[in-house]
Amino acid sequence: MSRVLVLVPFALDEDAIAHRREQTVEVTLRPGVTFDFRPVLAGPTAFMSPHDWALMDIALFEAGLSAEEDGYDAVVIDTVSDSGADALRSVHDIPVLAPGRASLLFALSLGRKFGILAQWEPALARYRKVLDEWGLRDHCAGVDHFDTPPDFVALLGDKAQVVLPRMEAACRRLIEAGADVICLGSTTMHQAHHYLIERLEVPVVNPGPLSYKLIEAFLALGLTHSRRAYPRPLVPKRAMVHAMLSAAAGQDAD
Amino acid sequence: MRKVLVLVPFPMTPEQLDLRRAQARAAELPPDIEIHYRPVLAAPSSYVSHHDYVLADISLLDAGLDAQTDGYDAVCVDTVSDSGVAALRSMLDIPVIAAGRTMFLAALMLGRTFGIVTMWENWFGLYERILKDLAITDRLAGMRAAGVEPDNRNLLGGKDEVLPLLLEAATLLVEEDGADVVCLGSTTMHEAHAYLADQLPVPVLNGGPLSYQIADAMTALGLVHSRRAYPQPIVSKAGMIRAMMEAAAEVEAEI
Repeated sequence: MSRVLVLVPFALDEDAIAHRREQTVEVTLRPGVTFDFRPVLAGPTAFMSPHDWALMDIALFEAGLSAEEDGYDAVVIDTVSDSGADALRSVHDIPVLAPGRASLLFALSLGRKFGILAQWEPALARYRKVLDEWGLRDHCAGVDHFDTPPDFVALLGDKAQVVLPRMEAACRRLIEAGADVICLGSTTMHQAHHYLIERLEVPVVNPGPLSYKLIEAFLALGLTHSRRAYPRPLVPKRAMVHAMLSAAAGQDAD
Repeated sequence: MRKVLVLVPFPMTPEQLDLRRAQARAAELPPDIEIHYRPVLAAPSSYVSHHDYVLADISLLDAGLDAQTDGYDAVCVDTVSDSGVAALRSMLDIPVIAAGRTMFLAALMLGRTFGIVTMWENWFGLYERILKDLAITDRLAGMRAAGVEPDNRNLLGGKDEVLPLLLEAATLLVEEDGADVVCLGSTTMHEAHAYLADQLPVPVLNGGPLSYQIADAMTALGLVHSRRAYPQPIVSKAGMIRAMMEAAAEVEAEI
């Protein structure tokens, strides 16, 4: 039996976590692997500025810091931004799956170029940054968006009828620009996956469920990240990180 | 039950096929996946020249051509050269998993760079072709060879002296070339995986078992290669391909 900790990037309540958990029923998972969802203690309210990215990094880092001592065999970050993944890899020996990087790399096993579907214009800067960071710009046919502010709690909620056709139109623009594969730019878009695969003639990579299958594969093969790429800190500051996020949560509650 | 067809790039005796089958045991697959192995009808003697590459492509294309009508849910091509994969993808609507490119992309999920350890330098050309095609040559830290002629049918059988040579080459990849991850350059080297993974300070990827895991992921997620990247032929020449390989097998039988 293997236990996987899925880190949710917003301080959500149980109802909202349930929407996230829906991703695990979208794909057949192995009987011997369980997925527990854990939200961060505090974090930014949106995800569009370097201020938000910095807070998201530390929030997810803290949320996963105790994963190994809590008895988990692997960690999955439930955001395509991969926030906190590198820091967690530096302190854990168990695999930490970063769905953003993984889904873009996986897309290259399905086609020559991928297109990224982003939520709205303010999200584009983040994708441009990660494409450069991961050296994947040449493999990207484009990043397009459907001009809808994200709702990290209700996800698509009751807006589906309006939003889904806009998502399809953005995907079609990406295909026109040369995308062989569409990568959903956020795990919060998972509810649109079925709608899109029924209408589009190219594969659509749904990063959440893909990350669960990949972590199953890594666990079965005994694989984890390279220590050379993610060296350990000389002095780990675990208590400091926990204290910082407790303070942040206190501030939020005020 | 999902059925995966693994295409073996050389004609095999049942005993030799068993050596390939050992990879499925290493993969720890879920219980609802069955792996079947099918060798090609005929093949080049080795994969070291462009003469060999063209024969390899056709032989593997032929071996997998009926996979979908035979009821398989996915095909894995059991060679890091990815021979035949693009052509099979153009003709099949089930996932066709390429052991080589899948392994190199997975390596980049685990580290910044990767190195390839292999049996002999004559295989370097195979990897260069894939890395250029994928446009990830800049992530390759290096390629190192043990300098031992491989046995594609009997694998490492009885050649324990190869293991330290592979370890030496892989250690240089990590220590001198800066590889964060080491990839085994051939599915025929799978017997060396446990030894190298135990000795090296970085992850070691074993292309065959990894490809079976990815077949599980692709079939569970309903993902198939993009038809835009692998367009179907206007006129399929499946009959011609089969006739060519049957003729090739006859020529081999006469020798």
